[in-house]
Formats: sequence, structure tokens, C-alpha cells
Amino acid sequence: MLERLQSITETANRELESAVGLEAVEALRVKYLGKKGELAGIMSGMGKLAPDERRALGEKANVVKAELETKISAAILRVQEAALEAELKGARIDVTLPGRGRTGGHRHPVSQTLEDICAVFARLGFVVEQGPEIELDWYNFEALNVPADHPARDMQDTFYVDGNTLQASHANPVVLRTHTSPVQIRTMLNQKPPVRAVMPGRVYRKDSDQTHTPMFHQVEGLLVDTKVTFAELKGTLDAFAKAFFGAKSKTRFRPSFFPFTEPSAEVDVSCVFCSGKGCRVCKQTGWLEVLGSGMVHPNVFKHAGYDPSQVTGFAFGMGVERLAMLRYGIDDLRTMFENDYRFVAQF
Amino acid sequence: MKLSLKWLADYVALPGSVDELARSLTMAGLEIEGISRPGDALRGIVVAQILSSDKHPDADKLSVTKIDDGSGTPLQVVCGAKNYKVGDKVPLATVGTVMPGGMKIGKAQMRGVDSSGMLCSAKELGLPEGEHGLLILDPALKLGTPIADALGMDDVIFEVNVTPNRSDALSHLGIAREVATLTGVALKKPDAKLAESATDASTKVQIRIEDPERCWRYVARVIEGVTVKPSPSWMQDRLKSCGMRGINNLVDVTNYVMLESGQPLHAFDLDRIGGAQIVVRTAKAGEKLKTLDDKERTLHADDLLICDEKSPLVIAGVMGGASSEVTEKTTRVLLECATFQPTTVRRSAKRHALHTESSHRFERGTDVSAVTEVIDRAAALIVEVGGGTVLKGRVDAYPVKKQPRQVKLRTERVAEVLGVAVPAAECSKILTSLGFKSVGDAWEVPMARVDVSIEEDLIEEIARIRGFDAIPAALPRGLSALEPERPWVTAERRIRGAMSGAAFDEVVNYSFVAPAELSAFQAEQGAIAVANPLSVEQSVMRTTLFASLVPNVARSARHQSQGVRFYELARSYRPHEGGGVNGKPVASEVLELAGALWGMRDGARSWTGASSVVDFYDARGAVDAVLASLHITGARYEPLESPWYHPRAAATVKVGDRVLGTLGELHPRAQKRLDAPAGVFLFQLDAAALLAEAKLVPQAEPLSRFPSVLRDLAVVVPTEVAAEEVRLVILEVGQPLVDEVTVFDVYAGKQVGEGKKNLAFALRYRAPDKTLTDAEVADAHQKIVASVTERLGGALRA
Repeated sequence: MLERLQSITETANRELESAVGLEAVEALRVKYLGKKGELAGIMSGMGKLAPDERRALGEKANVVKAELETKISAAILRVQEAALEAELKGARIDVTLPGRGRTGGHRHPVSQTLEDICAVFARLGFVVEQGPEIELDWYNFEALNVPADHPARDMQDTFYVDGNTLQASHANPVVLRTHTSPVQIRTMLNQKPPVRAVMPGRVYRKDSDQTHTPMFHQVEGLLVDTKVTFAELKGTLDAFAKAFFGAKSKTRFRPSFFPFTEPSAEVDVSCVFCSGKGCRVCKQTGWLEVLGSGMVHPNVFKHAGYDPSQVTGFAFGMGVERLAMLRYGIDDLRTMFENDYRFVAQF
Repeated sequence: MKLSLKWLADYVALPGSVDELARSLTMAGLEIEGISRPGDALRGIVVAQILSSDKHPDADKLSVTKIDDGSGTPLQVVCGAKNYKVGDKVPLATVGTVMPGGMKIGKAQMRGVDSSGMLCSAKELGLPEGEHGLLILDPALKLGTPIADALGMDDVIFEVNVTPNRSDALSHLGIAREVATLTGVALKKPDAKLAESATDASTKVQIRIEDPERCWRYVARVIEGVTVKPSPSWMQDRLKSCGMRGINNLVDVTNYVMLESGQPLHAFDLDRIGGAQIVVRTAKAGEKLKTLDDKERTLHADDLLICDEKSPLVIAGVMGGASSEVTEKTTRVLLECATFQPTTVRRSAKRHALHTESSHRFERGTDVSAVTEVIDRAAALIVEVGGGTVLKGRVDAYPVKKQPRQVKLRTERVAEVLGVAVPAAECSKILTSLGFKSVGDAWEVPMARVDVSIEEDLIEEIARIRGFDAIPAALPRGLSALEPERPWVTAERRIRGAMSGAAFDEVVNYSFVAPAELSAFQAEQGAIAVANPLSVEQSVMRTTLFASLVPNVARSARHQSQGVRFYELARSYRPHEGGGVNGKPVASEVLELAGALWGMRDGARSWTGASSVVDFYDARGAVDAVLASLHITGARYEPLESPWYHPRAAATVKVGDRVLGTLGELHPRAQKRLDAPAGVFLFQLDAAALLAEAKLVPQAEPLSRFPSVLRDLAVVVPTEVAAEEVRLVILEVGQPLVDEVTVFDVYAGKQVGEGKKNLAFALRYRAPDKTLTDAEVADAHQKIVASVTERLGGALRA
């Protein structure tokens, strides 16, 4: 019997070593250690032996069993590892095929730029205000110190609304707002100072060529409080330029004229393409004109119900398309409104 | 305005560098938008002398000349002209020169004879044509001098952007004053020394101003014995460099003095004025005038006119008439120098669409105090260039003498507005040099400065002359509290985020569309029209964004796109009651989110096999994504009849009674009219309604710690029963154990029978406080099955 035990051990070891796959190992486990396995067969025949022999054989069988179990565990690990190795060496997928599903949509550069401009001013505590685009002449011009028959009206060619298509007739002409400035008037009429707001939106001018579209977007800003100074206007717009165009941007303020501000200033930003060295985009000047600004004219305060001896303020405005073009390197304004799917998909 | 630096230098010493002058004017508010040097076109052309001239051996019409260009080495040049003699000085285009016409001069052989350069005619230099042949130059010129210098064409022309407030800067003298102030040098005004005859001008002409409101002052002078001819070339050159054309010496003087002083003038043929009488009045009904541009104009009762006893001669400040125009026969001249109410001139100029150099200046305001000086200057120049005698005295009608304004200036206010203190002495120095006079605690404003009327105007003068660079930059003080972001701003950002997530590309369209784009949607009724559109394509304010989005899709389809998803977040416009009254907006402007999808679901055919085209449920998915981004729950989709959508696939989205918007397949009729492809799906949502239902900050609910049980339920119901009806019954009957029901299969076909469909739902059972037993779930499920079959005529799927 002992000899048989010995030969089982040898055979089992040999078979386990050469076994391939988990199933083969499992079959060997059943063959040797199963209920009807070789070892069980030997154990069942032990009853016929003398007690001494039986004890010796029993001890030996237990040793063999433990040994086999260890070997089987090792064989399982070996074949699992072999299987994994085989799998890792298997065929690779084609990683160059495109991914599943659509990528996200794209923002229009104008709306993205507008949002980003407002976000910069939000950091400076400006809230966002909005107002009508179809507006009475009074809000768009008169209240902003642009009386009828004033040459300043030539600065903005105006679209008028056909009064017959409105529900009521108005003594005052109705216009498509030429700037978002009427929102400044409405904001001041609606609240007491202080005011710290930006007004984004669509504006309209009767003008269409390479560099003008009949509709475009503006963001204007208004800050009114006691003792607001021109120095603060400069600081605010310089901070904006650095936040929007980059920390190295510089600003330059030039005297100009807007009927609704006094003093008035055009604001140039150092050219974003050549950093002020001079290039085609900035016409070799190193500067790009991007903003109009100034101290709110006392007449505007009067129209808006504020006392100009009590408050001062500054206002500014910028064309969103222009900033978007500079930012994204778009060189034809008109592509902004053609909405070609290839255009929008770039942003 | 074009500014000649040579001309400017007559009145003020200029700084050495042209760029420096441009920069300092720009930084003082007179923006130099362009700098041109007309002489640049003549680079390479020099003064040369003809040393000898022989006949060309091989060509009768050509000569072979020896030329000295000052270099010491004579050149051989072949020439075709005949109008010169040996010894003449002429322009030589040296080898390498690019002529104004674009031709490049190289070494050449002309009929076998070498020629190094080209002798030039006036025409070849781009000058007004004089005599035929070579341009014969002044013999005193030094050889080798660049021709631009020799001809006085070494000028630099600035294009000045004069803002509408600065009428005082619409002249060379005005800008000279600015330069004088900026550089601290003296201004030299032109002389107007006049020799007058003994005869009094007032014996020859009378002036009557009938409307002193509009004609503030009218001054005239009479010059007799004038010869009308072309003005001298120096005057024509200056006019030309400022963009004006020489006409004759009289007209040229009026233009010259206008460009010098900013004050427009007019010259009449006195013999063509009826009754030696000037009347300034408004037009009578039906009056007509043939203006200098040869157009017969019907005058308006609001037009201010310069007339004689009988008929109109001039539209005041705008344009003269043909009947009193100076001609070659003119010998007696009436010179006019007047001041008109600016708005009158502007209205007439607009009405007659006549924007002239004169109206441009008058409508911005002219200096009423300067007219006497200006008319004397012009009279003196007329005598200088046209001969004749100036009669004694000016005929000056000045009904109401205008007083200069006085404006107070407080030094502390300067600091308050600018944020930097400017010493009183510095303020005074700046204002004085600009021509302001100190009067007590106020400043008397020069009458040319029509733009200065309040303290802030004075502060601006001080600030701009000191330079805005001298004002420090500071961030605003006194931010005491941060307001929360406006909810609509948050909502707009969420909506755009949801659209991006749903793979929609944003578009921005004009707010105005073509009427046909609205009528395709039967949406033209009540649309607000633009009174003066640029084109019919941009003539009505859109009442629906679809009027733009569907054409966007159609355009993409034409450009071989395989599928697009577009959205726009913008307003639609309609009139509304009470619009424009008490601050209410004139129109109802409704912010809408609108989307359009068409074509391949993945945007293009795909290797994944998901090459299907979009349908209604893609549109609904987009709407669901928007609602989810705003945490809007409880939305219902109800079938809709609308001219926008195909009846088979159209829905309204509601929460409670509030309509959020609509969606559906583009109506085939609209599709056809807009030339759009088939299979366009649309949705539009009202932003205000969305915001009203939005929960921008959703509130958390506790999670059950107990496991849930999933059960499927498949029922066969009549085709017309909506899946949502079944779902609602399941939810209702399953209370409180069913907390989620989703439909996961819809099937109609032979297996379920005619007029029926199979709906399969996944139900999740869960209790907040315990683990459900199989029996509890089975019991609930049984009740649900019973209710669905009973209430909706369904049957459990076998």
C-alpha cells in the first residue's frame, strides 16, 4: 500500500506539472483528492490492515494529501498566471478608431467673449443689467445728451422702427438701440446710487461693410457713487485689460468725445499680436483701440434723476466682436453672423 | 480732415519729428489717423540739366541727350519730347525708379541706343497736365535735388479725426493753436492788411436778416474790378493737398480761407444779385433753387435761404445757387461771411442730402466773433490773386450781439473729477494758452470753443493738455457688498452648458430677418418692421428664432454637412399693449432658447454602426437636458397643433399650467418654403418660464439605506395610450413603494396584434426604513398590473 501511495504521489506530481489550464488541474484534483479519488480509494482499503500498519499508512496518507493540496494550489496559480500571460499577449484593438458618441457642442465666439468680459467685471463687483433693444429715441439719445439735430448723431447711423407696426403711436421716434447706453439710463432711473453694473447686449447701426455689421454686441459699464474719479476709470479699465488680454497688457488713454461723458477717453490696449512692437494688425502703432470711456456727463445724471453735485461716475463701452476677433484671430467680421457649421465648430 | 504740415508751419513752429507731432496731437484728442507723403511717389526722380541733344540715328521722333543729374558723370538718355532746349532743367527718373504709374525704369536700349533713365512730363509725375512734353523746371534749382522737394511736394499730410465737438479744430489755424499750446510756442496769425477804396460798400449792397434766430450775423464786403482766372499754383497745391479742387481764384480764396480759419465763405457775382439787396429768410412754399451741383431743388419752409429781392440765391450754410455764381465775366464780387444757427444748417443739409465742407463746419458751430477778421483776410487775398479794389467798410448785420460764455472753475473740483490735484497756476496756464480769459473766479470761453459750457468741459481741457498719462490709475474705492449673481445670468450659463453637453453648436443671427422667413412659419402677423432697413432680408424683427435657425440648417445642408445641432439664445420681438409708456419697454422682447437638429445623430456616419438620423426624441432629449440643468421637475409633454410643426410629431412642454415651450418636426410646408432638408427637428423654450420653474440650488433628499428591488412590467395597451399615462398609473398605484419607473421598450407588430403595442417598464421598489420582502413587492406589483389592465385596457404581456 505504501508503495502505491508513493507511486500516486509521483504520478500526481508529474501530471500536475504538465497540466495546462484550470480545468485540467481541477480534473487532477478530483482524480486524486476527490471523494472517489485515488487517495480516498487507499483510505477506504485501510480497514483491512493491522492497527500498526493502519496508523503508519494513515499518517503517510495525510502527509501525501497535504502535499498534493499544496501542489494543486501552486498548479492553479501557475495555470492562472499562464492564462493571464497568454491574454496579455493577445491581439490588440485598433486604438486609432474614433471614440463613440459626439463631443460637446461649441460656443459662439461672441457669446463666449461677452460672458468672459462680464465675468471679469463681476470680479470687480459689477452686476449685470439688461434692457430693451427696441427703444424710445429719448433713452437712446436725448437722455444721453445727444439732442435731435446734433452732429453727434452722425456718429451712429440709426435704424428706426416703423411706427405702424407698433401697438401705440409714440411722440418720440422708436429706434433699434445704437448702443447699450439706454440701459444705463433705465438702471439709474430704477435705483438710487451707488451703481456698479455692466450692460451687455445686441446693438444696431445702419452700416454694413468689411468692418461693420448692422448688428453687433456691446458691453458697457457704469459706476456711480460719491467722488468717483477719472483715476478710478483708468484703474478699472487697466485691470480689465490685464485680466482679459494678459497681465503684460498695457493701456493708453486718449482724449476723445462722446456726448454722454466729459472728459471722454478712447482706450487703446497694447497690440495683442506684437506686444506693442508694431505689426499689420495695429497698423504699426503698437496699439489697438478697444474701448470708449469717460466721466458721466452732468446732463446725463440730470436726465436720470441723479444730482450731479452729489455724485460722479464713469462709464465705458466696448464692442464684443472686436475683442472676439482679436482674441480668436478672426479676420473677417462677417463670418461671425454667417453661422457656417465649420466656423462655429472651431471654438 | 486733411492737414498740410507745410501750411500749418505758416502759423506755428513745428517740432522736428513728424511722428512726435502726430503723437502729441493724438494724445491731446486730435487723433491722427493717417500720415501720407505725396512726394514719396516721386522718389528717385531728380532735377537734371540737358547738356546736349542730337537726333537719334535710327528714329526720326527720338533724340539722344546728354544729361547732368548732379553726380558729375553725364548720362545718355533717349527722349521723345521736342519742347526743350539745351540747358533746360527737367525731371529725370533715374534707373531703378518706380514711376507713380507703376512702371519701373531700367537701363534700356531705344532703337539700338543705350538710355539710362527717363526724362519726365508733368503727366508722368502725376501732376495736373500743363504744357505738352517735358516739364521744364525753374533754372535756379540745384541739380540732383529730389523732384518732390523741387516742386514743393515734400509736404506731409495728416488725416485728422476731428470729433464732432471740436469745430474749432476744423482748420489749420485751429490746429496750430493746439500745437502752440502743446509745445509752448507762439501762434502767428495771418495778416489781413487791406487797402480800401473811398467808396462805401454799403452804397452797393444792403443786408436784411428776417430770421435773427437762425442767422446770427451776416457780414459782406464788396470787391470791384476783379479778374476771374485760375488761382496761383501755390494756392491750388494747398487746396489739392487738403482734398479740394481748384475752380477759379475767387472760389479758391473762399475755400482757402475756410481751410485756414474754419469759417466758410461765399462769393457772389454782385451784378447777378437783384436789387443789390441780400435778404436772409426762410423758404416760401414751392420755391425752387438750382444749386451749384446743377440740381433743381424744391425748398422746404424750414430751409434758411440767402436771397435777393426776388429769389433764393443760396441754401444758407449748405450750398450756393447757379444763378449768382461767379463766372469768367464776373468783375464785381460780393463776399459773404456769416454765422448761422447750427441745427438749421444741419437740417437743411440732411433734407437735401448735401453734406458739404461748409455745412460740416456750420452744423458743428462757427466763431461768430471771428467773421470780421476772416472776411478781411479773404478780401485781401482776392485782391492779391485777382486784382481789383476792396470797397470801404464791411456791411455787418448782427441783430443780437452774442456774449462769450463764462464758466466757473474750482480747483478742488478738478481734483474730485480727475483723482489728482492740479495746481491752480497750472490750470490757468493751460486755459490761457487755449485762449480762455480769466474773469474773477470764472473763465471766459473763446467763442470758437462752442463745445465748452460747463465746469467739466474746462476740466477736460486741463486734463487733455496735461495728458491723460499724467493721471494715476487706481481701482475703485468703496465696494461695500457683493450682490449675488442675477438669477437669469446663472440660468443662461446653465442653459448654454446643457446645450454644449448635448453637443449643440451655438449660433448668433441678426435679430431682423426677411418677411418670407417669418411667413414660412405663419409668424409675420404683428411683426415689428424696420422703417429704414439696409435690405428686405433684414427688414422685420423676428417673432421666432426658427426664422433664422432653419435657414442656418438649410445652409449647412447645402454645404455638405451630414448633420448639425444648432441653438441660439436670443430675443424675439412683438408689440405689446402700453409699450413705451411710463418706462415700459416699447416692445415685448422675449428671451428664447431655440434649437434645430438635422441629419446624422453623430454628426456624420460612424464606424460604430450608430449612423442613424435624428428624430423627435433627440429634440426632446435636448429639452430634457435643459430642464435637468435647471432642476425643473414634473414637465409634461402634450401633443400640439401648430403651423410650425408636423402634426405627427409636435408637443408642448408644461409644468403645471405654465407652458415652457414647444418642440417637434419642422412642418413640411415651412420646410419647402425655406428650402430646408427633410427631417429637421426644432424646439423653443421661453427663458422667463424656465427661470420661474428653475431650482438653481436643488435641495438634497436623504438616501434610503435599504436595498431596492427591481421588477419589470410589460403590458400590451391600445396604440393610442401614451406611455406616460401608463407610467403615471404605475407611480400612483405603486405609492409609496415604487420610487422610479422608466420605460425601456416599445414594440408594435404582429406578435401583439393590430392596434396594440407593448410597453415594458422597469420599476424600482424601495422603502426608506426597511428591506422589502418578496411578498410585499409581489403584492404591490400585482396591484399595479391589475390597475393598468383595468384602467387603460391593457393586458399583461404573456
